[in-house]
Amino acid sequence: MATNVQPDYDKPGDEGEERVKIICLGDSAVGKSKLVERFLMDGYKPQQLSTFALTLFNYKSQIDGKTVSVDFWDTAGQERFNSMHPSYYHQANACILVFDCTRKITYKNLSEWLKDLKTYRPEIPCLCAANKIDEDLNTTKKSFAFAKKHNMPFYYVSAADGTNVVRLFKDSIRAALAYKHNSTDFMDEIMKELENFELDPIPSKAKDKNSQDTEEDKKIVTIENS
Amino acid sequence: MDFYMTFTMAETLEILKCGVKFDPPALVLNYKDRKTGKLRQRSMPLRNFNKNTGIDHFMEDLKSNPRHSKFIRLLSPAQLVRLLTIVKDKLSGLSLEASIARNDAMDSLNPEENLNKVDPETLQRKKLVMDSSFEKKRKRPGDPDFQYNIEVEFDTAAVETSGWDSDASNPDF
Repeated sequence: MATNVQPDYDKPGDEGEERVKIICLGDSAVGKSKLVERFLMDGYKPQQLSTFALTLFNYKSQIDGKTVSVDFWDTAGQERFNSMHPSYYHQANACILVFDCTRKITYKNLSEWLKDLKTYRPEIPCLCAANKIDEDLNTTKKSFAFAKKHNMPFYYVSAADGTNVVRLFKDSIRAALAYKHNSTDFMDEIMKELENFELDPIPSKAKDKNSQDTEEDKKIVTIENS
Repeated sequence: MDFYMTFTMAETLEILKCGVKFDPPALVLNYKDRKTGKLRQRSMPLRNFNKNTGIDHFMEDLKSNPRHSKFIRLLSPAQLVRLLTIVKDKLSGLSLEASIARNDAMDSLNPEENLNKVDPETLQRKKLVMDSSFEKKRKRPGDPDFQYNIEVEFDTAAVETSGWDSDASNPDF
């Protein structure tokens, strides 16, 4: 199903249920989609937001007797542009940051993803996952300092055999709800004020006044055309 | 036979080798029928395959071809794409050596390579190689040891450092 409209996560869904948005970040081919698919298992068809070239998976969960509607956002290949379209971060309540423990570069790039995240959503909870531990179980005997340094919970996971995948996603939902009930994110307020205007040019300028606008502009145009 | 790959597979039909012919273009499988123990060869002509053919689409057609599908599905998508790409390269005028070098590069994984920066064809190929490994280790509902929720505590007290954090130039690690 293709649609051009992002859901409004500040408003309840059709049946009055609370809505949260959880985004996945990380390099190409670290297994973000496979992790979401493993958590949701079969029968969940992702929804395409055609304007923004994004994929989202909806999941309904019972938390304390109330239904919560969770949208997991997946990048749909936008990693190739080095950072995500600002709409990807808009209203996000939590983030799952993934690297491939068989490929060092994907670990090293976590700092870039975190930088991007902090630009738009400096306050949201972030969980860090080392995926593909099934490739080499010795990985789980090794420490990765990045998560601890940035105060994130850390998970050794495998989308192939399922290790710790459900725990990672359940924790992310709890974190998203906790954050949403006590949100102070500045970008939200900015985005809210700008909602009736063009969504795109403002955040890219707000993001970094010193950045090269040409690169930034090109990226956004490319995504919209795709 | 112009080009061969060797491997085995746990099926009634065991593939021993797969390869391609160029003139006319065809996929060739050498396989063993486990029931009879006989060695056989199957040649599947690649009809209307030319240098402009979309490989993804062509693969779907092969998989749904009633005569060939039972052989085609014995190949992993990574193998099938590789073989068809070699044929396509040849039809585009590339030498076999150059094509194999190019395909080897696309099928090899380098832990230092930034896959955010490679072209879409290379990314797709590397993902297919990773998918082959993923599928081998994948546990699905119905498998005897499948469990939806598997929580494993890893002993973080006895850990050694990954060695991936020793980069003085980046304070994030």
